[in-house]
Amino acid sequence: MDMKLTHPWEEAVDEIRRWARINSPWAIHFNSGSCNGCDIEILATITPRYDLERFGIKLQGSPRHADVMICTGPVTRQARERLVRIYEQMPDPKFVVAVGSCAISGGAFRGCYNVEGGIDQVIPVNMYVPGCPPRPEAIIYGVVQLLQSLKPESQKG
Amino acid sequence: MNELFPLLSFLVFPGGIFVLASGLVYEWTDRKLVARMQNRIGPRWFQPLADVVKLLAKEEVVPAGVNRSMFLAFPVVALAAALTAALYVPMAGFSPSFSFRGDLIVTVYLLSLLTLCIGLAGANTADRFSIIGATRTLTQLFSYEAPFLLALLGPAIVAGTWQISEIAGYAHNHWLILTQPIGFVVAIIGLMGKLELPPFDAPEAETEIVSGALTEYSGRGLALFRIGKDAELVIGLTLVAAFYLGGLSNPLEFLLKTGGLLLVVAGLQSLFARLRIDQVVGLWWRVGALLALLQLLVLVVLQGMGI
Repeated sequence: MDMKLTHPWEEAVDEIRRWARINSPWAIHFNSGSCNGCDIEILATITPRYDLERFGIKLQGSPRHADVMICTGPVTRQARERLVRIYEQMPDPKFVVAVGSCAISGGAFRGCYNVEGGIDQVIPVNMYVPGCPPRPEAIIYGVVQLLQSLKPESQKG
Repeated sequence: MNELFPLLSFLVFPGGIFVLASGLVYEWTDRKLVARMQNRIGPRWFQPLADVVKLLAKEEVVPAGVNRSMFLAFPVVALAAALTAALYVPMAGFSPSFSFRGDLIVTVYLLSLLTLCIGLAGANTADRFSIIGATRTLTQLFSYEAPFLLALLGPAIVAGTWQISEIAGYAHNHWLILTQPIGFVVAIIGLMGKLELPPFDAPEAETEIVSGALTEYSGRGLALFRIGKDAELVIGLTLVAAFYLGGLSNPLEFLLKTGGLLLVVAGLQSLFARLRIDQVVGLWWRVGALLALLQLLVLVVLQGMGI
């Protein structure tokens, strides 16, 4: 994304686009072989107690509607194809959050005969949330950090 | 100046920008009310705007196995129909910008064109969830459309005209909710069925069929369908408020009456769980249509007796 914007109006449009993108991340949840611990925490995250709609985060069913893919679990050989397919079905711009130790490195399942490793072995990951399982607050923090990293001041360094 | 007026009314005041902006505001109000009733904080005030802008800026994927031109045309037709319908209803309490004999039927037709477009858009894609969603959307269309129209015909028969501006003028002196309570209930529930709001959201049940007919839509198409639905929410609320709640004569009255209706709609949304599609059809044809017909019969008989 090293494109140079020449006109001021292009920068303004870009600013509006970035504002909308930061304020309305729709998520899709994919389990690529997790023990369901992290999935239960993600479900707890979208309950009224934590209320993700405050940040505009909505859990969507269809990958075509989603901006952020929240992945849990190590990638098993069987789930690999589907993970890649769902990632490719999402329209650009898209982001991936890996939730839990297994999604980061394979965790307890690392080195198993049927496990490829962490999510980043298969698709690019933008943000890692450690924990086994991470608390809902940690997941919210991770997604908010991902959104913060889209802002131009944090991209410069 | 006369040539400019239709264009202006289509693009700026009763249609176009005004309907889009008020649609976003009403969507936010609806979401916020539902959130508060669920004991949540709810979305921020600019949330619908951010959603729409983000969707417009996203990549639009045209999946394999669809008719490309139809895939791209359906959202545009749907939004255009919803915006055109705004020209015939008393938006913001002003008299409708266009009016002719029988425009009630045209408006109801234009409002259902959006649902029809959603159904056809789902049937156009090769995805199984879209096709199930499309089937359900169209089934629901056939079940609520007749009772909704019958409920709107009640005021039309009492007023003796099929012209929206004249019915609204008649309703200004008569609170028809008092004389036709059944019609009001059927109309408000019909509106919820039209907008696929929670008790009637079987066509887009995300726990069963992903997102129904719009599963394959991303980016621009989805954004246009969403704005179209918001516009339909405003227009439907305006129509019901003008017919049943004593007419709309100024913007303040418009705001209060449609806001009150929205509160009722949001309450019903958070009260009821989703109905199955066969329950929806049964409810409409066994209860809704019969009650609306009964009331229509009473009205016709009373009018025949000259009361």
